[in-house]
Amino acid sequence: MKEPNDMRVLPSTPVGRLRLYGVFAFFLAGFLYVAGGLAYRQLVQAGDLKEQSDTQSQRVVLRPPARGRIYDRNGFALVDSRARWSVKADLAALQKEFRSEYLRLIAAEKARDAVQIDRERLMEVARVRVLQGWLNKVWFVIDETNRSAKLSRPTSKVVPVTAPGERQISLEQLRRHLRERRALPFTLVSDLAFPGANQAQTPEEGSRSVARFIEQFPVEGPIRLESDNIRTYPYGALASHVLGYVKDTDQLPENVNDISDVRIEALQKLHYTGKTGAAGVELTYNHVLSGQTGWELWTKTSSGYNQTRLKHSEAAQGSNVILSLDYRIQQATEAGLAKIKDPQGKLLPAAAVMLDVRTGEILALASQPTFDPNRLADRVSSAYYDEVDKSGAWLNRATQGLYSPGSTFKVITAIAGMRKKVVDWDDVLECGAFFKVGNRDFPEHEPVGFGDVDVDKMLAISCNVWNYQVGLRTGIEALSAEARRFGLDSPLLNTVSDVESGGLPMTELPFAASRGLVVPDREYKLRIKAGPWNDGDTANLSIGQGYLLTTPLHMACFAASLARGETRTTPSIIHDARRDGRHQGAEPIGLSKAQLDAIHGGMVRCVEEGTARVARIPGLPYAGKTGTTEYFQKGEKAHLAWMIGYAPADNPVVAFAVLVEGQLDTNTWGGKTAGPVAKEMLEAWAATADSSSQPKPKADPAR
Amino acid sequence: MDQNRQGARASYVALAIFVALWVLLPSAVRRLNREAFAEFQAPALHLLGKSRDMATFWEKKSRSTEEMAAAGRDLARINAALEIKLNAMDDVRRENVRLREITRYVVPAEYMSVVARVATRDSSSWWQRIVIRKGRNDGIRPGAPVVFGNNVVGRVTAVHLTTSEVDLVTSPGFRCTAYLEGDEQNRIALVNGVAANSLGTAKSRVSVIPHDYTPPAGQPARVFTTGMGGVFPSRLLLGYLDGGTYSTPVGNFKESLLIPSRDLYNLQEVSVLVPLHQNPGEALMQGDQFQ
Repeated sequence: MKEPNDMRVLPSTPVGRLRLYGVFAFFLAGFLYVAGGLAYRQLVQAGDLKEQSDTQSQRVVLRPPARGRIYDRNGFALVDSRARWSVKADLAALQKEFRSEYLRLIAAEKARDAVQIDRERLMEVARVRVLQGWLNKVWFVIDETNRSAKLSRPTSKVVPVTAPGERQISLEQLRRHLRERRALPFTLVSDLAFPGANQAQTPEEGSRSVARFIEQFPVEGPIRLESDNIRTYPYGALASHVLGYVKDTDQLPENVNDISDVRIEALQKLHYTGKTGAAGVELTYNHVLSGQTGWELWTKTSSGYNQTRLKHSEAAQGSNVILSLDYRIQQATEAGLAKIKDPQGKLLPAAAVMLDVRTGEILALASQPTFDPNRLADRVSSAYYDEVDKSGAWLNRATQGLYSPGSTFKVITAIAGMRKKVVDWDDVLECGAFFKVGNRDFPEHEPVGFGDVDVDKMLAISCNVWNYQVGLRTGIEALSAEARRFGLDSPLLNTVSDVESGGLPMTELPFAASRGLVVPDREYKLRIKAGPWNDGDTANLSIGQGYLLTTPLHMACFAASLARGETRTTPSIIHDARRDGRHQGAEPIGLSKAQLDAIHGGMVRCVEEGTARVARIPGLPYAGKTGTTEYFQKGEKAHLAWMIGYAPADNPVVAFAVLVEGQLDTNTWGGKTAGPVAKEMLEAWAATADSSSQPKPKADPAR
Repeated sequence: MDQNRQGARASYVALAIFVALWVLLPSAVRRLNREAFAEFQAPALHLLGKSRDMATFWEKKSRSTEEMAAAGRDLARINAALEIKLNAMDDVRRENVRLREITRYVVPAEYMSVVARVATRDSSSWWQRIVIRKGRNDGIRPGAPVVFGNNVVGRVTAVHLTTSEVDLVTSPGFRCTAYLEGDEQNRIALVNGVAANSLGTAKSRVSVIPHDYTPPAGQPARVFTTGMGGVFPSRLLLGYLDGGTYSTPVGNFKESLLIPSRDLYNLQEVSVLVPLHQNPGEALMQGDQFQ
């Protein structure tokens, strides 16, 4: 046994001690290096490293908010959101099944002595097979017509497609999901009630499919039921040009709710697909309707799946918008337009507008042909897009269609003449079968002429020759100035202040016509290089033809202005009960009472016994003016049919304009074609004015 | 000392072997084991339920004559009231039969009713699962709805030879569609149980309530089954909306808590409505046994 004093802790020789100190120094240096490095990373690089770590291990999932609703003035929801029930597979929870299926496929490949095994592809196939197996189970439960299908085993064959819907999962579909939305569950059926955008399924059948899944499919497991909103237009194509539609957007929203404490800019964001307005009110008031986007901050696994939710902020629904439309008048207007067809039964392109005379609020605005925004709310089929495109339904003819106003312009000619004092309300002009201007005879629409005609009679019978004479006496400068005074070439802006409109910002109408409006004059004709202005051009303009181009909405505004004895009406699509009836740029017309009475009387006679007598409504006298004008279609002449007016005659409340584009083979006339539509609109308005027939709205828009 | 150490080591080894065996056992053997345990446990559950019934019997037997007479009087009154209702029902029934004859409507007998006593409540999820004293031998199948009178109690989730497990309406495993009283459009809402916190009260939630739904004034709105899902007959009472509906922060929908229609704590007896025809959901609940 050795004594303690024999133990040699340190080498006794200097060389040995030196070696030992060297080893100590080496380890000390190493330790200091490690400690220094640790301190450097912990103290100096901490911020950067944390950010790198967060970037690699966290992600932000953005949650799009529900859009606000759009109501008519009575509180009926014209645009809403319905529950969309979707079935989704939690990929993280299916990892074991993927693996088992993958191993089975590998074994099968080995069993058939495959030379080269593409393992990556086999993994993809395994995933698709597992998901297809679950999808088959979903269909087995919800689809009574498909009960004979063999299901259950993930390796089972794909169920044959027996009905519209999402029944097969493709490799490409899964690849896209893993590439772009790996953190989210995989969507097996995106809309249980209307699978595959199957509009043929009734709501009742849709509810039954949803109920069957909810009650029969196991709650536990990798398959989840999720509900979200989808934009829905309960009245289908009604007012589709006003309402517009929504489309998918991949752009990150600016209005992300309360996200300042999360540095999302440094993190990976989930591929975002939200909805944004694509047309109409949905587009113009998108910032009001779209709400605030919510978010969730997740840690992710090494495979890229979501693991733990660290923070979140709920999305906030968008605000509601209350339109000035009255859906009952809108329905009647569109029903009236839908009766106008060519001999082959095809709908004629047409437009109609009705305004509140005092406030300028639009009660109805219709354009034909139309489209169903429900079919554009989610995925748009190219077939439907082409169908709408081919029919010309994208164009809102009421606001974007540019037309010569025809004889409805004769009211302006009369006003211009009386204001310039070239004619008075009781002056009688001799009106024959034609009027010579230069070398050309300008015809009357009545072959024998009308004889003695004053303002009142001219408006009732729509005498051309009276207007040629007065137009030439007035001159192009005064005539076009008068048309401009009524704003026929001015873009229509919604100038409701944001305070008065309940917080809605001042903005353009969602469909304002701002380009292409023409009130011609000498400069205009020179500008378009059509030569100098001549008297024939003035005669043409005096009956609303020639270069003059305006929209049905402009003509409805003109009718409303006339009813109030003013020059301008500011139309608005937003309802505000506090409007005071002032209109931007409006001034009195500048005629004496007798002159105004003559115009008013002539327009009333037009309905009672004149060119618009087909549209007469017993018990509701109103003022109207028809117009039939020529336009060229494919190089040949066709007719446009117009009617404008206001009602009731003694105390105007509403004003309207109707336009129908006649085709080459149609017999289209102002009173005969446009008149019945005006009649239906006014009858619908009269019915809504009767308070006893007011239906109860289904929802309170204020809620 | 060494013997002790060796003994401890042997125990650990045995435990490890047991765990390894359990993990490696085929799922069929494990399922068989679970079933065997349920069957082994069944007589005890039966005994427990019957002894509770016996205790109730003796407790009632010990009541005084005066108490029994008072109870008899109350019962007579209730009987009289029910008799009046029964007469009224007879009229309705006759009218119903008349209308069916006119329209030649054949009423399918969709469910077979099996009355079962409650054996116990599953201690692992108090309030949310009960065990009843009827099982496969009595024709009960998984997925069958369980009711008391016109009230939904829950749904059968597991069936053994002589007992069955029932998820109550408040169980997180319970889910069904519902109509809300006062919703003229009969839009479907979703009812599902909510996992209770420890010592908390189990709840159910009604979600996806349409934004424009307003409960009838003055009384809690009733929540009914829709009958559309193929599991529950229509118009069974699921419960009542708890005081009102509340907007969810996202979505155009509202949600509310559900007060179950029966006092689930005091259930003694229930009826299992066994569908005469198997629905596909049953096959899914039983695993991959269907084609």
